[in-house]
Amino acid sequence: MADKPKVAVYWLGACAGCDESIVDLNETLLQLAQVVDIVLWPVAMDFKYAHIEALKDGEISLSILSGSVRNSDHEEMAGLLRKKSKLVLALGACACFGGTAGLANFKTKEEIFSWVYLDAPTVVNPEARFPQTETRVDGKVLTLPEFYDHVYTLDQIIEVDYYLPGCPPPPDLIANAVNSVLTGDLPPIGSTLAPRMALCDTCSRNKKKPSKMEITQIKRIHEVEADPDSCFLAEGIICMGPATRTGCGETCMKTNLPCRGCFGPPPGVVGAGPKYLSALTSLIKAEKTEEIHEIIKDIVDPAGYFYRFTQPSSILGRKKPKKQMEE
Amino acid sequence: MAESNPKLVCFSCKFGWGYLSEESALASKITNWIPVVCSGKIDTSHILKAFRAGADGVLILGCSEGHCHFQDGNIQTEKKVLLLQKVLETFGIEQERLEIQLSMDPDGQNIPLLIKKMEENLIKLGPIKRL
Repeated sequence: MADKPKVAVYWLGACAGCDESIVDLNETLLQLAQVVDIVLWPVAMDFKYAHIEALKDGEISLSILSGSVRNSDHEEMAGLLRKKSKLVLALGACACFGGTAGLANFKTKEEIFSWVYLDAPTVVNPEARFPQTETRVDGKVLTLPEFYDHVYTLDQIIEVDYYLPGCPPPPDLIANAVNSVLTGDLPPIGSTLAPRMALCDTCSRNKKKPSKMEITQIKRIHEVEADPDSCFLAEGIICMGPATRTGCGETCMKTNLPCRGCFGPPPGVVGAGPKYLSALTSLIKAEKTEEIHEIIKDIVDPAGYFYRFTQPSSILGRKKPKKQMEE
Repeated sequence: MAESNPKLVCFSCKFGWGYLSEESALASKITNWIPVVCSGKIDTSHILKAFRAGADGVLILGCSEGHCHFQDGNIQTEKKVLLLQKVLETFGIEQERLEIQLSMDPDGQNIPLLIKKMEENLIKLGPIKRL
């Protein structure tokens, strides 16, 4: 066991979908277990954090971290695993860009707490009690992690060596990433271990795209019966393909759903949201202000659409953690 | 934002705004003024970066409808701006902080006036609360 490279898999502010995708490696996972020593994987196996703390710095060859950083526990574990690991892979849209959980940045911590613990119709909390980081019970102190006022991407908290986006990332890219680490065949630090093209470049629907697209009405996917072969945008259905990196295997397209942007922007693009907004508006057929208003009024929650996975890494959404600001 | 001194960034099209005046003379009257070759050249990320860098408002001056030197750059930007206003609202930035005016002003004498008018609105709005 001692000679095998050590691998840790950990979830921060995550839903376990990324872990599920690792499980979807199926038999490959068994082969992997033969050649690496999994030292931490809370979703699948039982470990003690004390064992990780006892390891030497840099002793873990690869830590695969999924999820965003929303509370002090996430930050502590991310810091611990960074210290103990040679390489850190940010796995999934949440670790890479903040993910859907990052949409919470459109609300303040106070608004979230008020809704969750007071105002939501199913909540009964007459004494208006909110979670505390410390509570004294029978002379003992119970603690909870501190809920931060912002959702952070992993690289806003610790240094990240490689990125593999997706919600979840597909098993084939996970296998490639782990193999690259094991064989040492790695691209430069900071690389995203996924193809460099936009989704439209690999989308099979691209063949049926008209030479000139003109959107006169925005439609939502549940309101229409979308043609299974046609370009969604040509039908006026919002599809994030033009501003999204490919590599997902087009799983959404194959089930007749438009791209939601979970692979984040292609290389060189800061902020998929504004780039997508520009791309979409260029397709809208309108020549007068009133015509523009008439068409865009049907885009329900544009910020939610365009920043669905990337709010915390976006130009306006990104924020430095308190600790880094103090330094 | 100081109470009486909001930071406003103004982008204007060189083909419609101030082309008969000396650019440096106009620039001496206006801070944070960025004349561009067509309002269609203004990218959404330029606008967002201005807000990120501390702007309280962004004003875009493009050519009037049907008068774009490059066919429809002005309309392309108007479409971006009208949708971006909705996005900014979600970020806690009021729609009034991003304005577009499609018109013509060869002397550019109206540019400082329009800026002043928008600055007055920005003073009423106060500083951006969320960023």
